[in-house]
Amino acid sequence: MTDFDWNLLLSVDWPEIGAATLDTLTMLGVSLLATVALGLPLGVLLYVTAPGQLRARPRLYAVLSFLVNVLRSLPFVIVLIPLTLLLVGTSIGVAGAIVPLVVGAVPFFGRLVENVLREVDRGVIEASQAMGARLPQIVFKVLLPEALPGLIGAATVTGVALVGYTAMSGVIGGGGLGDLAVRYGYQRFQTEVMVVTVALLLVLVQLLQSAGDRLVRRCRFD
Amino acid sequence: MIQVRDLTKHYSHHGRRVAALELVSLQIDEGTIFGIIGRSGAGKSTLIRCLNLLERPDSGEVRIGDDALTAYSERQLQQRRQRIGMVFQHFNLLRSRTVAANVRFPLELAGELDAAQMDARVDELLALVGLQDHQHKRPAQLSGGQKQRVGIARALANRPDVLLCDEATSALDPETTDSILALLADINRQLRLTIVLITHDMRVIRQLCDEVAVLDHGRVVEQGRVIDVLLQPQHAVTQSLLAETGLVQGALQGQWRERIGTPVLKLTFVGEPALQPVLDKVGREAGLRVNLLAGTLSEIKATPFGQLLAGVVASDVAVSALPDIFAREGVRCEVL
Repeated sequence: MTDFDWNLLLSVDWPEIGAATLDTLTMLGVSLLATVALGLPLGVLLYVTAPGQLRARPRLYAVLSFLVNVLRSLPFVIVLIPLTLLLVGTSIGVAGAIVPLVVGAVPFFGRLVENVLREVDRGVIEASQAMGARLPQIVFKVLLPEALPGLIGAATVTGVALVGYTAMSGVIGGGGLGDLAVRYGYQRFQTEVMVVTVALLLVLVQLLQSAGDRLVRRCRFD
Repeated sequence: MIQVRDLTKHYSHHGRRVAALELVSLQIDEGTIFGIIGRSGAGKSTLIRCLNLLERPDSGEVRIGDDALTAYSERQLQQRRQRIGMVFQHFNLLRSRTVAANVRFPLELAGELDAAQMDARVDELLALVGLQDHQHKRPAQLSGGQKQRVGIARALANRPDVLLCDEATSALDPETTDSILALLADINRQLRLTIVLITHDMRVIRQLCDEVAVLDHGRVVEQGRVIDVLLQPQHAVTQSLLAETGLVQGALQGQWRERIGTPVLKLTFVGEPALQPVLDKVGREAGLRVNLLAGTLSEIKATPFGQLLAGVVASDVAVSALPDIFAREGVRCEVL
């Protein structure tokens, strides 16, 4: 990069970069919301059905756990294009990218949620059982509130991973900054576009992480 | 009244069946403070969890009042547990909630009161345990004793008829332990609430309990009024648990007996005689020469008691007549 000509930055198509950034933010926002909405119940289900837990269903747990592992081990962008075609009718563009992003991130976030819930003090759960709490009361009044800082942390990690996923989805025409980097930076040898997109992705990850950290700090219980 | 009949529970540990409880039977009258003592691994923790069915016994029956809990469905149990308070060694408060919200928690679970009624009840309970000034703090900002006060207020919220205490003072320093024991005694008196507690600490039994059961390897080895069990322990486990409290135990070791060379009396004074010069009075009547060897004066739940070990030479009566003479003065005398 020592011979990089910084004047090239002037020739970058900034409006296009702006539009791509907006696309990335849209993909990230929508897929993160959908991931939390689907992954949180999945994580709770994993937690309560695990052997020795509140509603132990070892067989159901084994099946769920296996599915989660399978989905997490597949290279999601490659496998999910046909699925997206089926669901959305298009595998290209922002809308087309969201489904594979979510399917890729939900098992990841669900597993994180399961682990965070396991960190909740058993004694507190036992105390609520001793007070006659029913399972939904334990989930909504004890588990989730007590685990809130950990859950926000898990959502932050997932958001950061999703930034990476959105960039990768650019390779298959998913739109956004990754798409730009591939089309201009890689295919047309416009290194400056690549540099700008990478820098923007970096800033995005930083912002996401520090926002998450601040939220966790604010809702810690001491 | 709580009735426990033939409670048995086994665990499998590395494929071996280990008995946690073996045919445990207890009867706990309304309004009493009942202590269950034993060393760790004796089954105390399993026993108290079987009282509210947090653990299901393999067999046996638990009744609280007219409710045969062991025959209840999970749903019925959840309902009934709202009126069985429980206090824990490590407090088990919700870290995400303030003091007031922790006390409010069981009221929310029960869902019988509206918001204003719940607030009023929370204020009442915080006043009872002396924590009005801390209601907006979170558990992390409280001392151990304050946390346990929150735990007690929470346990009392739904007006239980039984309070179960699981090593409630074991994580506290001696001074704080005393204040929590005083609070429990107070609650027992004010609310006529039956309290069942487990502990490994004989001091807790001595200061607080009316009755005690000694648990060893899942069996009740001794049971009775605290004053009887403490002063006349029958079982070796009870005696060893008492050894730590400084009470005079059992017979004098052989070598001491030879070196003292006279008969030795163990005198037990309970109540008023503990405060009277009984030994002096009997000594003059019977012409005793007394060699004091050991002694203690203490209280069992506000009843004073004393114990003395004394070598004696009697000139006017036979030593074998002394137990009857002391008995007339209300003092138990054993010739060792």
